[in-house]
Amino acid sequence: MFGEEELVKIHKDRATLLSYIITAAFGLVLSRLWYLQVYKGETLHNYSIQNRLRKEVVWAPRGLIYSRDDQLIVDNVPRFDAILTPQFLMDNPETLQKLSKMLSMDIVSIHSILKKNSNQAKYRPIIIKKNISFDELAQIETQNADLPGISVDTFISREYRDKEVGAHLLGYISEVSQTQLPKLRERDKMDYRLGDFIGQFGIEEQLDNYLRGENGHEFVEVDARGRRKRYINTDNLFKGIEAEKPLSGMNVKLTIDRDMQMAAFNALEGKVGGIIALAIDSGEVLTMVSRPSFDPSQFSRGLTPEYWRSLVNNKEHPLRDRNIQEHFSPGSTFKALTGIAAFEEGEIDENTEIFCTGKWQFGRRPYHCWKKEGHGATNLVKAIRESCNIYFQKAANRMSIDALAKYAKAFGLGARTGISLPREVAGLIPTSEWKRKRLGQEWQAGETLSCAIGQSYVLATTIQLATAYAAIANGGKIFRPFVVKDVFDTEGELVKTYTPELLSQVKMKNPKTLKFIREGLFQVVNNPKGTAWYRRGQGILMAGKTGTSQVRGANADKIHQKCETMDYEDRHHALFVGFAPADNPKIATAVIVEHGCHGSSAAAPVAEAVITKYMQKYHPEMYLQNLEKDKTIKDSWIKSLRVNVVPKPVAAPATEGNE
Amino acid sequence: MNQRFVDFFKRYDFSFIGSMSAIFLVGILNLYSATHSQSSEGLDLLYKSQLIWFTISVTVAIIISFLNPKTFERFSYFAYVLTLFLVFLVMLMGKSGMGAQRWLVLGPIRMQPSEFMKMGLVLALSRFFTRVNPERELGFKELILPGIIVMIPSIMVILQPDLGTGMLLLFIFCMMIFYKRLRWRTIATLGIIAMVSGVLMYNFGLREYQRKRILTFVDPYQDAKGSGYNAIQSEIAIGSGRLFGKGFKNSSQASLNYLPENHTDFVFAIFNEEHGFFGSVFLIILYLVFFMRLIWLASSVQRFYDSVLVVGIMSIFFWHAFINMAMVSGLLPIVGIPLPLMSYGGSSMLTFGVGVGMATSISNTRNFFN
Repeated sequence: MFGEEELVKIHKDRATLLSYIITAAFGLVLSRLWYLQVYKGETLHNYSIQNRLRKEVVWAPRGLIYSRDDQLIVDNVPRFDAILTPQFLMDNPETLQKLSKMLSMDIVSIHSILKKNSNQAKYRPIIIKKNISFDELAQIETQNADLPGISVDTFISREYRDKEVGAHLLGYISEVSQTQLPKLRERDKMDYRLGDFIGQFGIEEQLDNYLRGENGHEFVEVDARGRRKRYINTDNLFKGIEAEKPLSGMNVKLTIDRDMQMAAFNALEGKVGGIIALAIDSGEVLTMVSRPSFDPSQFSRGLTPEYWRSLVNNKEHPLRDRNIQEHFSPGSTFKALTGIAAFEEGEIDENTEIFCTGKWQFGRRPYHCWKKEGHGATNLVKAIRESCNIYFQKAANRMSIDALAKYAKAFGLGARTGISLPREVAGLIPTSEWKRKRLGQEWQAGETLSCAIGQSYVLATTIQLATAYAAIANGGKIFRPFVVKDVFDTEGELVKTYTPELLSQVKMKNPKTLKFIREGLFQVVNNPKGTAWYRRGQGILMAGKTGTSQVRGANADKIHQKCETMDYEDRHHALFVGFAPADNPKIATAVIVEHGCHGSSAAAPVAEAVITKYMQKYHPEMYLQNLEKDKTIKDSWIKSLRVNVVPKPVAAPATEGNE
Repeated sequence: MNQRFVDFFKRYDFSFIGSMSAIFLVGILNLYSATHSQSSEGLDLLYKSQLIWFTISVTVAIIISFLNPKTFERFSYFAYVLTLFLVFLVMLMGKSGMGAQRWLVLGPIRMQPSEFMKMGLVLALSRFFTRVNPERELGFKELILPGIIVMIPSIMVILQPDLGTGMLLLFIFCMMIFYKRLRWRTIATLGIIAMVSGVLMYNFGLREYQRKRILTFVDPYQDAKGSGYNAIQSEIAIGSGRLFGKGFKNSSQASLNYLPENHTDFVFAIFNEEHGFFGSVFLIILYLVFFMRLIWLASSVQRFYDSVLVVGIMSIFFWHAFINMAMVSGLLPIVGIPLPLMSYGGSSMLTFGVGVGMATSISNTRNFFN
């Protein structure tokens, strides 16, 4: 037997070995630490920085849009979204419960949003609710600690101050869609990303390159759950990875007048249609309004499904622009051009009289005047004033369709005006060659008669009609209509300015042509027998032409049926095209009111409202002088009434009344 | 009286309690640093309860240091049976944490009996080896009974399931039989058996999450956001400390929560991040001093029981320290083994106190009776 002490002694070797083993073990640990901290130290140190840095886009403020009189019409406002980063949610039902309460959202709908986005990377935030209120924002921000993975995304949203007014002109911005992405990258050679906002319509689309600016980025420090957190240490965390400031978009000044827009919008209340107004001596677009309209702010603030459905399901198609993206039969407003063609071709002069009986049998088909009993002996001025169909049809019958088309095209019809807005349509002025190519048929003489009064194949947009009438008023100068006056950078420095562009000058063979056409147009409004006499307004001395364009080919028995008694879809479109003041033209305008029946009652008041606003604002002295001239015209009319119908007492002269 | 008092102090071995206090001081500062910014998780006050646990543990250590080592021997098997019973209780009615049943809740006290089991095992083995042929080298035949003593608790712990602690019991056993002169031939044979059974174990004996841990150990980047996350973040924490560290309270991995469990299993990573390689050298030297002093004590006592017990105590803490450091730095797969005196945890601290108390008592006996 060993003694206790010997027992301890014989184990001493093993104790020594144990001390070696232990030292070796810690030596191993230390060498591993050396490997990590010295050999891989820099790399892992960088990882620890990257860990907590998140690159965030700083959105460039989009350029602002001003009206011609420097009123702000498109602005930027901050917007807040509640977002959720699945990576940091940690499968926490309590968090979602709280969130649904805060945002007063159904928990089921939150789950369905998450499910819909479940196939994207877990670190990519998902928008749970767009456009949260300040209340909701405050709740999320204050309870940030209890809501892992939930945060608030801020960015600047587009606000259109007048909402629906001029929406088609201004357009809207929205997120680049998946399908647009490759096309846009190709078009602009820009690396667009999902989530980028670009102009999708109107000015916003056309001037996107100016308005957009350049997004910057910054780095923020986040904790493991993606929450922003400040953590101060000796590391120079942001060294060498400085943020890049965004470049603001450029500001744009339009040729549009905000007050006239408003007047036009109000005048179109309850109507379906559009109005465009041009400055006669430059082609500046002063007004461009289409109704029904939409609120472009809704697009940039996150279109709700309800709003989108309300737009798409509306039978009147609020998203469609009636001024440049839709063409119509110009109806009687085209007669001015038929008149010019016949006059220039020498087929008529100011004294040529054509007899209208209300009906003209041409070949196998009867052609009707709108006035059943006919206009009797009619010269050019009377024909325009009273819109006699037979006069223009008989005049046109002396020419070929190609001759008629030549003048219509010279005045800008049948081709895009070239306004710098997207998706303009060209309208149509038919020729015999066009028909041969398009339909493979020879031109029929009867078709010329329909075209002469702006029916059949003839199609035009309001902007074309306004351009043509502006040329009638200014002696044949065709300007390219434009909507942007100036582009400024953020310091207010002028970057680009747009000047009037004279596209062509129509050469008139006969110096009297336009004079008599203008006289006719003047009498339409300012002669008691004119079709728009009751719409002549005050102080604007308007000249113009009413028109109705048949929506359906009318049967003979329906031709004199009262328009208001038809089904809504069958009612004629109402048009009015004109300029003012007649003796010193400044503004030309064209109005379409769909299914408005009469150019005089439906369309002319819209033109009158816009022109009145224009005259009062830009030519107040001329406006006052014109008030006097109006008075003279009215007085002589009243006098003539007294002469003709002496015994009958006359009611107060109606400036408003029935046709 | 006065002279005796001074004599007592001269002969009392303060080295173990001193060593423990030194490591604890580093530990409590590190714990504070790792958790100070975690007010939202309620962890920022953790260091206070750790201080209380330390006070209790030191008190326990001092009380035990005044006991006669013979007492330990007498109660060895009782302690083993008692701790085994507690582990059994956990299996019946324990509270789970992190997917395993480890906790025993008695009123306000939450215990982790598997911690105490280590001490119970060491006591029982010490007694067994002292009583049964203490002078003989160990071969397979001699391993049968001690093998049963260790297998019962380790299998129970592994079933909790707490593979880490179960393995730890086996490692402690291995170190003790090595000291008790296990034959080299047997060591070689056992090594081969361990390798073979390791392979079999991996394929048939492990649960899914355990196997995943081993896979991610081999290549943590395979599942960097999932099961490899902790390992990667831990390496990033350590590596980013470089030579000198980021400084006290400057761990971004902890304060921004990239490294979870940074107050328990991963405190060593945070320590490395803040104090760098040189800090770790310092800390490891502190541990080494403690272990070397214990090994020295094991060879300097008169009674063989004391010697084996001291080696056992040393084994417990060595394996904890080594496995924790190795797993945190990526040398071993992630298993839930705390770093003694550094990781937050009362049971572990108390075990340490008991061990230090017994070592001090043994050392004092040597001084007082010579």
